Formats: sequence, C-alpha cells, structure tokens
Amino acid sequence: MTTTKDQGADHGAATGAVAAGSPASDAFAHQPLWKVRLALWRRSLGKTWGLFRENKMGMFGLGLILLFACMAIAHPILMATVWDPKIYDPVTGYSAVELQFVIVEGEPTDPSTQISLQEARLRLNPTVKVGQTVTIPVQPAPPSLKGPNPHLLGTDPQGRDILSQLLYSTRAAFFLGAVAALTTVLIATTVGSIAAYFGGFIDGSLMRLSDLILLMPLLPVLILVSALFEINMVMLGLMIGVLGGFGGVAIVLKAQALSVKVKSYIDAARVAGGTHWHIVLRHIIPNVLPLSFLYMMFGVTEAIAIEATLSFFGLLNVPMTWGIMINTAQNNGYLLSGTSYWWLLFPAGLAVTFLCFGFFLVGRGMDEVINPRLRAR
Amino acid sequence: MTVADRSMAPSAPSSELPLLDIVDLQMHFPVSRGLFRAPTEFVHAVDGISFEIAPGESLGLVGESGCGKSTTGRMLVKLLEPTGGSIMFRDRDYERDVAHIKGKETKEFRRRVQMIFQDPYESMNPRRTIFDTVSEPLAVQKVGNVPEREQRVLELLRLVGLTPAENFLFRYPHELSGGQRQRVAVARALVMNPSFIVADEPTSMLDVSIRISVMELMAGLAREFQVSYLYITHDLAVARYMCDRIAVMYLGKIVEIGPTEEILSRPQHPYTRALLSAVPVPDPSQKRTAVEIKGGVSKPVNPPPECRFIERCPFAAEVCRTNPHPPLELRGDRHYVACYRVDEINAAIAAAAG
Amino acid sequence: MTLSQLSLEARQVDPSLPLLEVDQLVMHYKIKAGSVSAVDNVTFTLHQGEAIGLVGESGCGKTSVALSLLRLLPQNAQHISGEIRLNGENLLWLSAEEMRQRRWKDIAMVFQGAMNSWNPVYRVGDQIREALDTHYRGVMTYAEQRAHMEKLFAAVGLPADMLDRYPHEFSGGMRQRAVIAMALSCGPQLIIADEPTTALDVIVQDQILKELKRIQADLGMSIVYISHDIAVIAEVTDSLGVMYAGNLVEYGPTADVFARPRHPYAYLLLRSTPSITGPRRKLAPLQGEPPDLLNPPTGCRFHPRCPFATERCAVENPPLEDIGGGHKVACWHWDQVPELEGLQR
Repeated sequence: MTTTKDQGADHGAATGAVAAGSPASDAFAHQPLWKVRLALWRRSLGKTWGLFRENKMGMFGLGLILLFACMAIAHPILMATVWDPKIYDPVTGYSAVELQFVIVEGEPTDPSTQISLQEARLRLNPTVKVGQTVTIPVQPAPPSLKGPNPHLLGTDPQGRDILSQLLYSTRAAFFLGAVAALTTVLIATTVGSIAAYFGGFIDGSLMRLSDLILLMPLLPVLILVSALFEINMVMLGLMIGVLGGFGGVAIVLKAQALSVKVKSYIDAARVAGGTHWHIVLRHIIPNVLPLSFLYMMFGVTEAIAIEATLSFFGLLNVPMTWGIMINTAQNNGYLLSGTSYWWLLFPAGLAVTFLCFGFFLVGRGMDEVINPRLRAR
Repeated sequence: MTVADRSMAPSAPSSELPLLDIVDLQMHFPVSRGLFRAPTEFVHAVDGISFEIAPGESLGLVGESGCGKSTTGRMLVKLLEPTGGSIMFRDRDYERDVAHIKGKETKEFRRRVQMIFQDPYESMNPRRTIFDTVSEPLAVQKVGNVPEREQRVLELLRLVGLTPAENFLFRYPHELSGGQRQRVAVARALVMNPSFIVADEPTSMLDVSIRISVMELMAGLAREFQVSYLYITHDLAVARYMCDRIAVMYLGKIVEIGPTEEILSRPQHPYTRALLSAVPVPDPSQKRTAVEIKGGVSKPVNPPPECRFIERCPFAAEVCRTNPHPPLELRGDRHYVACYRVDEINAAIAAAAG
Repeated sequence: MTLSQLSLEARQVDPSLPLLEVDQLVMHYKIKAGSVSAVDNVTFTLHQGEAIGLVGESGCGKTSVALSLLRLLPQNAQHISGEIRLNGENLLWLSAEEMRQRRWKDIAMVFQGAMNSWNPVYRVGDQIREALDTHYRGVMTYAEQRAHMEKLFAAVGLPADMLDRYPHEFSGGMRQRAVIAMALSCGPQLIIADEPTTALDVIVQDQILKELKRIQADLGMSIVYISHDIAVIAEVTDSLGVMYAGNLVEYGPTADVFARPRHPYAYLLLRSTPSITGPRRKLAPLQGEPPDLLNPPTGCRFHPRCPFATERCAVENPPLEDIGGGHKVACWHWDQVPELEGLQR
C-alpha cells in the first residue's frame, strides 16, 4: 500500500501551495473533516431550502405548521403568566360565565341570547315573564371578551376554556405526529432498504408481512386494541408508526431502494470490498432518506387524523386532545345543534383539518424538491 | 504518453507467469420457472472460456450486447460467482484460485482488483463527495487514517488531471462533467494500487473529444503502475487504441483471440470478419470488404452443442453441424480461432476478391 | 392527397431543387438562470433526394435543430429569429394544427431508442394503421391499408406477419426497422433521423444504415441525419454540417469535409476519432470542456479551446463563408488548419 505517510499536521502546508480556485472549496482546504462535512451539510440544506421556498403551497403549509407550533408553545406560557389554572386548566378548570338572556315564548330561535320561559322559570324563579332580561350562569358559554376572565373561544359544556384546550391539544398532536412519523420512517427505511438489498428470502418474508399489515384495516384494529387496553399517546404513536412502517411506506421505500441498488456505485462499493452493512448504511439508506422524510410528513397527517377519530370515540386514555373536545360536545348532545354552539366543534375540527393540511402541503412541496421531474422548469 | 505508444510497447515476456489464468470459466443463469420448481433451463451467458492476462497487459473483450463480455468482467472482480471453472490470480506474494472464494478472502482479494464502470452518472453516489467516493476502498479496507487518506486522494486526483485537487475534494458528482467524473472513477480504481482493473465500456458514454483524453489517461496510468486491464467494449476502434490483445466473444464463447493489429488486419473467424466489416469508418473514401451476416443475436438458453455461430454463419457446412463447438486453435502469432473452416473461408474470400 | 402519392415507388427527384432550407435559425431555451443559446445562426439547405448529416457532441444543438424542423420543441424553447422552409413554405409560421398535419405526411421522424416509440399494448400494425387513419381518413379501405403496410414492411426487410406482433416481440434492430416503416407510412418527402442507430450493436447498425441508404435511393427520399458519431454520418450522407455550441461551424460535401476539414473543431474531432482501418493515427484529444451556453464565450464560441485562436477570435464571431465547392467554414483562420493526411503515420 502506498498511502503517503504525511501526518495531519503537514497536510495544511501541502495543500496550501495550490493556487486559489473556487472560493467554496478553497475554504475547506485547511479544516478538519468534520467541519467540512458540517459546512457541506449546511450548504446542501440551504440549497434544498432555496428550492422549497419557491414552492408557494409548501411555504403556505409550513406557515400553517409554524402557526400551530406557536400555539403549542403559547399554552404553557399563558398558563404560567396570565391564565389562572383554577379557571383555565384545559382539564380541571371551571368557570361559569354569567350571561344575559331575553325570555321568549316557546323555543328560542337564538339559544345564545334567548331562553324559553319554561327553562327560565326552572333555573331562576317562577315569577319571570316573557320579554324580561335575566342573568344566568351558563356552560357552554359563547366566546366573549367581557368579564374578569374572558373566554376568547367560549367554554365547553363542563365550563372549561376552549382556547386553553385547543392550545394544549396542539402540543399533544405534534407529539403524537412526531412519534408516529419517526417510528414509521425508521422502520420503513430499514425494512425497505434491507428487503431491497438482500432480496430472496429476507425480502420475501418482509414483504409478506407488509402485505399482511396492508390487509388489516388500520382504524378498526386500533379501535379494537384501544378498547382492550388502556392506550396513551406514546403507545398510540408507536402503534401507528409500526403498522404504517411495516405496511405501505415500507413497500414504497423498497421500490426506491431497488432503484438505488441497481446503480453501478453499489457495484463499485462491493468491488472496493464494502460489507453489506457498509453498502446499506452508506449508499442505500442515504438515497432513500429524502423519500422517507416525505413520507414522514404524510405520516404525521395520518397519525393526527387517526388520533382524532379514536379520541372522538373516547377510546384513548389521554387528558385532552382535539378529538376529545369534539367528543365532549357530542356526549353532551351539542354535535347536532348546528351552528348555534359552533365554538364547541369548529376550533377543534378546523385545527385537525389545518394541521393535517399543513403537513400535507409541506409533503407535496418536498416531493417537488426530491423529484426533479415534478419541478417546474 | 499517448494512446498510440501503449500498445506499440512489447507485451510482457512470455516466460513470466500470467497475472490471471482463466480456465473453462462458466456462468449459467437459471431461467426462473416459479418458486417451487427447480429450473431446467439455463442461460449460458458465459460457457467455458479460457484466456490469460499477463502482468501489465491490456486485453480487450469485444462483442455485441448479450455476448457475455460484461458477465465475464463481473466474475473476475467477484461481483458474480461463476458456476464453473477457475480463475488463477498471481500477484507478487498472492497466488490462488479466486473463482469460489468467499467472505474475508474476497475482501482480501479485492485489495488487488478494481472496476471502472460505463456510466459516469451512475457510478458515483450522488450524496457522497468526491473524497468519500475515491477514498471508499481505503475506508472499507481500513487503510490509513483520515488525513492519510485525504493525502492519498489528493495525490490521485492530481494524477488523473483534476487540478487543483483541493477544489475537487469536497465537490459532489453532479457538480462535475462526464469526463471529470470518469477521471474520478479512474482515481477510485487506482487508490488501492490494484494490479488488475476491469474496465466495462469506460468511455462509451463520453463525447468523442473527452473520450480520447480519458483513454490516454487510462493507458498512461496502466503503464506507469503496471496495471493489467480487461477492457470490455463493443467498439473495435477503441479496442485498437487501448488493447494489446483482443478476444472476440459470441454467445458466451470466445471465437477468436490474438494481438490487436493481427485481429484487425487478418481476422479469421467469420463473425470477426462480419463485425469488422460492419464498423462504420470515419472516412467516406474507404471502401470496406463486406462479410454480411443476417439476423440478430439470440439468447443462449440451453444452446445446442454445435458451433454457436452456425445459424448466422454464411460459411456453415456439414462439418459445423456434426461436430461440437470448435475449440480455439493456433492460426498465427498468438492468434487463436474457433472455427473448423478457417482455411476454406480464407480461400473463398480470396477467390471472391479476385 | 391521392393514393398514388403513398405508393412506395421512386419519387421524381430534381437534385437541383431545394427541399428544406434552414435560414439563420436562432433558438433559445428559457430556464430559471437565464436564456440558453442552444441554436445560434444555423443555415443549411437540403436538396431533393439528398442526405445531410449534422454532427456534434452532446449539447451542441443538433437535436434542437431536429426538433425545430418538426416543431416538437419543449415549452420553454423560444424561437428568436430565422426561417425553416419546406418547399418554400415557412414551417415556423404554420399553426399547431397545420403543423400536426405536416408531421408524418411531409416530414417523418426516426428517433433514438426505438422501444420508446412504440406503445407496448398495441400491435405494431395497428399503430401504423393509426397514423394512416389520422392522415388519410377514408382514403384507403382496411384491406388497402393492410396491403400498404405489408409493402412498407417488405421495404424495410421485415416479414409481413410481424405486423400482428407486439413491440416486445421485436428485437432491437427489428424495432428500429419497424420505426422506419412507420416513418415511411404516410409518404413523407423528408425523414429526420435523430441518432437512428445509437443504441444498436455494430452489425445491426450496419444493417439499418444500409436499409436507410437503400430507401433514400429507391424512394427518392431526403434524410437529415443527426448523430454524435462522425463515422456513421460519413457512411450515409452527401453533405455534412459540424455543429459546436449551437453554431454550424463547417458545412460542405461529406467527402470534402472529411478529406480537408477546415474548421479547427472539425479537424480536431476527426483527429480524435479512432478508426479500425488505415494506419494508426496518433489521436489528439481536444483540450477543455464545451462552453456553458447560458454565458457563451464572446466572439467565436470555440476560441477558448482552439489551438489557432488569436485575439480577433475572442472578439468577432466569424461568419460561415464559402471557401469553394460549397464547402463553408466559420473560422477566421481556416487556412492555417493543417492537412489531415500529413498527420497520419
């Protein structure tokens, strides 16, 4: 072997003799390798960001996600500063808002400002009359800025602040999405790469497992599992991740890994003497990873939607999520009340929709960065 | 150093033992007939070929696509496990049959052989820098530490003409042109100081003007470092400038092998004649003597025992049909031909030419 | 259009009449980083029954010229100036619909990668019939179409029963023959053959080139060959244009250009092309890399790589000048380029 015996210390002097070339590469010449790698990594990240920025929908999605992130961060801050936990805690807080109602004959047309004579007599005293304005403490209370403890998005049927619940749940949604998506991607990348590279029996067994998981309807299975066992957010995230990771995403990533496997740089690595692990870790996985990230985005979307569904059915052992907020409204009979009690349904419903939408758009935006074919000229 | 100089040089003295001694090498791929049925049909991609490569010699393997030339190359660097035959490899202190080695032994063997691939756009991982790519053999074979590897890579980048080398070290392949990438591939192949390189159509995807400089580079480095090449190509003109000897393959068999100029000026096998007469000549004033053959290459699935070329051969006769595939016979200076009717064909063509 | 024009008999050819005239064609591609000058001032004339070749390396603009002739350029291509006249009619002025009718009927194409030219789920015969239906609806009966297609297949050396086969049943060479049959199906006067044999083995390439040559002679066809392989062009063309970085740098009768290339690029290209015949010439590599056409070099685009370049070359772009016998060169120093023969040894 003829590797030169120059030591690292001389290395700067040896390379410094060469005339200046491109400034970008020149800057690397005297630095330790890890610094060079960091700089290269940052540069490629910058390039990817530059491409992503041109995608308007992706940027809109990112904006949505950032908005939700701000909401998630805002909750503990608000709880520590302006919100009194007795009143504003998303689970244990309570506040009865006193509102003014006009007593009407028969059924009220606007339940937030009118009350029927019958009910008014029941809740106050039998002497009230139609047309009279009365003050009654109510829950759920509509959004209002008035009073010493304003509820910007009103309260739920148990007198808890909706805004507080909404912000608190955002954090839970992010957490769940992250756990599920990371698990999915970790498993799917490994399974896909290994199945594609080794082929044969390993590929066959992993793919049959994928088929099996694909055949299982995800939601009913999760409903069944959560009915049998007590499930918290971490477990739910892991379950969604494992099922997703071994299922469809693994198959997609395997297809990508297969297209990498036939490239001649894989042969070059083998001729160099590279072990299977070297090839999988250094060549296949890095080339599958961008697609993995893409599926991570879609994975977050899926996890949030599944969580909302499960907690709507009241099957999750978690303190508060968007699904539970809707579930509370439903349990108290407000689900079919139309838009009269909109603050019980819309904030949570829209939050689920927009956060999913945001991740989906970012995923699509990344898709265009990763697949140059989709990129507009 | 020019391409022309290289093959003018005398080939290694015959007394020296060959670097590679390949005997009856076979690669039969099973034709899949479903999961639980044992295959009964085999594609005879390479069907018992034998040749030698001397130290520092460059052997050209030419033929049409599907003739088994790439399969042969891949077997010699252990990317494929041959189904039969032996590959004797002698290099300084190393001497053994590498046809069926496994695991650690293969890794040890790979310190001495390398491969250069056809497509400069696919032979480098787009996510790894030039340094990572060139130093990969050093890294996987655990040679030297990082600064030493960096020195070695810089040295090689200069050697292949990528200067200033520092500017290329941390580039990504997509920042380089096709010719530059192929130079990086040459650097990667040389980083372990191998004694044998399989070059699979290394210049066929490059533009003419760049092709020549890469060819010159490879030829020059081979002389400088005493590297032997197996140069796989479909282009006889390129083989003429790169190779000391040429072996012509047809459907898994070597049909003719000999010194380059000898093959080009005095082809004896009808297939070689047809191949040569089909090569377009960049000179409209040249008239070619044509040996035309019909049809295209078929797939060698369980081929019959007789001569592989029989269906397309314009000179096929009874002797070809009743006998097995002809063996390679000496027909001139180190010139071997696998054909029963060499003399008759020579006579017939001479008569036709008047 | 009558049936007789579709017959596979020799067209009356007058070699003095121009069929296709490309006049000072300038073409840009718009990309994010700016404007790529892909074709710059290309001028040539193709006479009836003639075959010309455009040769050059990747990115020299030869394919852009071919696509311009067919008006099949990508969306971001901009036609800046110049004309393309077929029988005196400027193709660039035609509407998309008029051009669609000209394609196949007047100009047909044979592209590289014959596999992609065929839809794998239809029989080859049915795909040719579709082209006939598009351009000659109601002119031929089903049986006449079949007879016509059988004649086409015979003309390119394929058995008639292959019409009922699917593309995957054809070998590479047969598929390319079928592509030629398809190109001939609507009776065009002009065929654009873009790298017609690039993916093929030498023996098959030789067969296809001979077939094209025979068809050109027998049917009085005119062909524009586009190739990176100067040897292929030498075999089949009457005239030859050498392109470099969007410019046509040399144009003339093929034999002339090969015997006495006058542009330094053409000269070096020939010097760097290995050959299996004749004495072993010393090959001379071209130094440097082709230019970035986003910012093409000033003056002559070849000057940064040219061994004969002077200061003038960096400033003034040389025009394509006739140096006698229809041999045209765009170089200030064409008379300094050495003879090719003198370098053989």
